Amino acid sequence: MSAALGSGGRLRPWARLVGVVCQKELRDSLRDRRSLLSALLFPLVGPLLVAGVLTFVARRETSERPVEVPVVGRSEAPELVRSLEDNGVVLRDPPDDVERAVRDGDAEVVLVIPEGHGAALRAATPAKVELVSDSSRSTGSRAERRLRELLQTYGGTLGALRLVARGVHPELAQAVAVVEVDLATPQQLGARLFGMIPMFVLLGAFVGGMYVATDSTAGERERGSLEPLLCNPVSRGALVVGKWLATVAFAAATAMLTLATCSFVLGRVPLDALGMSFGLTPSQILGLCAAVLPLVLFAPALQLCVATFARTFKEAQTYLSFAMFLPMLPGIFLGLAPFKSAPWMSAVPILGQQVMLTDLMNGRPVPALSHVLGTVSALVLTALSLRFAASLLRRERIVFGR
Amino acid sequence: MIEVRALHKRYAAVVAVDGVSFRAEDGRITGLLGPNGAGKTTTLRMVAGLVRPDSGVACIDGVDVAREPERAKACLGVLPDARGLYARLTARENVRYFGELQGLGGAALERRIDALFERLELAPLAARRVAGFSQGERTKVAIARALVHAPGNVVLDEPTNGLDVMSTRAMRALIRGLREEGRCVVFSSHVMQEVSALCDDVVVVAAGRVVGQGSPDALRDAAGTRSLEDAFVALVGGET
Repeated sequence: MSAALGSGGRLRPWARLVGVVCQKELRDSLRDRRSLLSALLFPLVGPLLVAGVLTFVARRETSERPVEVPVVGRSEAPELVRSLEDNGVVLRDPPDDVERAVRDGDAEVVLVIPEGHGAALRAATPAKVELVSDSSRSTGSRAERRLRELLQTYGGTLGALRLVARGVHPELAQAVAVVEVDLATPQQLGARLFGMIPMFVLLGAFVGGMYVATDSTAGERERGSLEPLLCNPVSRGALVVGKWLATVAFAAATAMLTLATCSFVLGRVPLDALGMSFGLTPSQILGLCAAVLPLVLFAPALQLCVATFARTFKEAQTYLSFAMFLPMLPGIFLGLAPFKSAPWMSAVPILGQQVMLTDLMNGRPVPALSHVLGTVSALVLTALSLRFAASLLRRERIVFGR
Repeated sequence: MIEVRALHKRYAAVVAVDGVSFRAEDGRITGLLGPNGAGKTTTLRMVAGLVRPDSGVACIDGVDVAREPERAKACLGVLPDARGLYARLTARENVRYFGELQGLGGAALERRIDALFERLELAPLAARRVAGFSQGERTKVAIARALVHAPGNVVLDEPTNGLDVMSTRAMRALIRGLREEGRCVVFSSHVMQEVSALCDDVVVVAAGRVVGQGSPDALRDAAGTRSLEDAFVALVGGET
C-alpha cells in the first residue's frame, strides 16, 4: 500500500536533514526581531562604552590647564611657595573646610603647611607639610603626583644643601639609588585598559546565539511544535546539530561584529594623548578570530543543552542569563590578579579564549599549541554537549513536559 | 496497516496503557473511542514513535516503530495532540519544512503542497504567515503538514477538537477522502456522533484497556443497546 502511495524508501542523508533544520531555524530567527536585536545591538554597546570612557579620560588628561592647589599656611613657608610657583603651580586660597572640600571632590589635593613649619626648618628638624587627598576618589591624580614630585625635589635640595654646609658630600646620604625602568610599551599599557575587549568579544559569542538556542528548543516545545517535529523520520542528533549550526551562525556573527566595531571605534579615540596606541594588524585580527572560534562552537552547544533541559522558555532564559557570567569570570579574575598565561589554560573553555585574546591584543604571540589545545578541547566538549542535548530529546519527560 | 499488540505504558504509579491491542486495516477508518484520560493519546504517541512502550509492539506496515522508528515514520502521517506551527513562517513554509524532513524536495514537493492546499482550501493563505490564522486554519495547515509525504497510514489525535461546525464537516470529508484513497486512518475522539458517523471499526478504550472492539453496529448489538452512546456507557461502565 505505502509503496503505491509513494512513501518510504526515499533517500534522506543525515547531512541533508541537518541542512534542512539549520536553514529553517535561520529563516525563523532572521524574521524574529528579538533574535536580531540581541545579535546586532550587543556588538555596538560594549565597544562604544569603552570608547566613550577612554575619550573622556583622554580629554581630561590633555586639557592644558595648570596644576592648581589650594594652600593653607602660605606665610609659614615663603621659600617653598616660591619654589612651587616657579615650577608652574598655581596656588589658591584654601577652602573653609579642607577635609570636606577634598571628600566632596571640590579639590583634588590641598597642601597644608602647619604652624611651626618655619621654626622646624630653621632648627633643621623635619618640617611637616600635609597633602590632603582622597585616594578612593582618583588614585594618583595629576595635581597630586606633580605636587608630590615638587615637594620631594624641594626637600631633597634643601637636605643636600645642609650636608654641603656641614662639609658632607650629599651622595653619602644616598645609600641606594632607585632608577625606574618602565618596560611597558605604549601598546601594552593600552592593552591593560583594553582588557575589556576580549570579554566583550566572548560575551558576544554568548549573547548572539542565546535567543536562537532558547527559541529553537524550549520555545519549540512551548509552542507545541516539538511533538509534530519528532513525528518526522529524523534522528534526534540531526535535529540538534541543525539547531546548533543555526545558533553558531548567530554567535559567530555577533562575536565578529563585536570585534569589528571594537577595532573601528577604538581606532578613532585620541589615544596618543594617553600615551597609548591601538591598532590591529590583519594577522592579529585573524589570530583573534581563530582564538574565539572554539567558544563560538562551544557556547551554543552549552546553551542548547540548558535550554532543552529547562521546563519553559522563561526558565531557559533565566538559566542562560546566569550563564552570561561565565565569560565575565576570567576577565574579572585577570583584572584583579593578573597572572602569566600558561599553555594548559587554553584547554579550559572561556578562560583559554580570554587568555589568548589578551595575549594577542598585547602583541604577544600565541603558540600554535594553544590554538590546537583550545580548539580540540572545545570540539570535544561541544560533541559531548550535543550528544547530551540529543539524549535529552529522547526523554519523554523532556519532550512532553514535566 | 497499523497493528498494535499488548501495549503497556506506566508513568510512575499510574498505568496509562494496560495491554491495548488492535488492528487498523488499509482503506478503513478506525476510531479510538474513550473518555478523557483513557489512554488514547498515549497509545497514539506509541504508534507515532514519540513514546517508547514498556512492553508490546506497534507496527506500521509491518515495521516495528520502536525498532526502526525512521522507516516506520516515513509511511506514517501524524496529527499529534500538540499541533503547534511556526508562527513566523508562512503556511507553505511550514508544510515545506516537514516535506523536506520527509526527504522530499524541489518541484515535486511544491506540486504536492499545491495539491494539498487546493484540497484543504488553503491556497489563498499559502503565502501568509500563520501567526494570524484561526484555529480551523491552523488545524488545516497541521493536517497538510502531516500528509505532505502522502503516507499510507494516518493517525489523527482528536482532529476536530476546537473546530467549528463548518471546519468539522470539512475534516470529516477529508477523513473519508483518505479512506477512498485506500489509506489506513486511525483517529481518536470522545465525540460519539463523530465516531458513529465515520468509523468502520471502533476500539473502545477505558482506563488503559480495550473494553470493546468491532463495527458500530456490532458494538450496539453486543451491548444490547439502541445507540452507540448507550453501548459506550455500558462498555466503559460509567453508569449503573
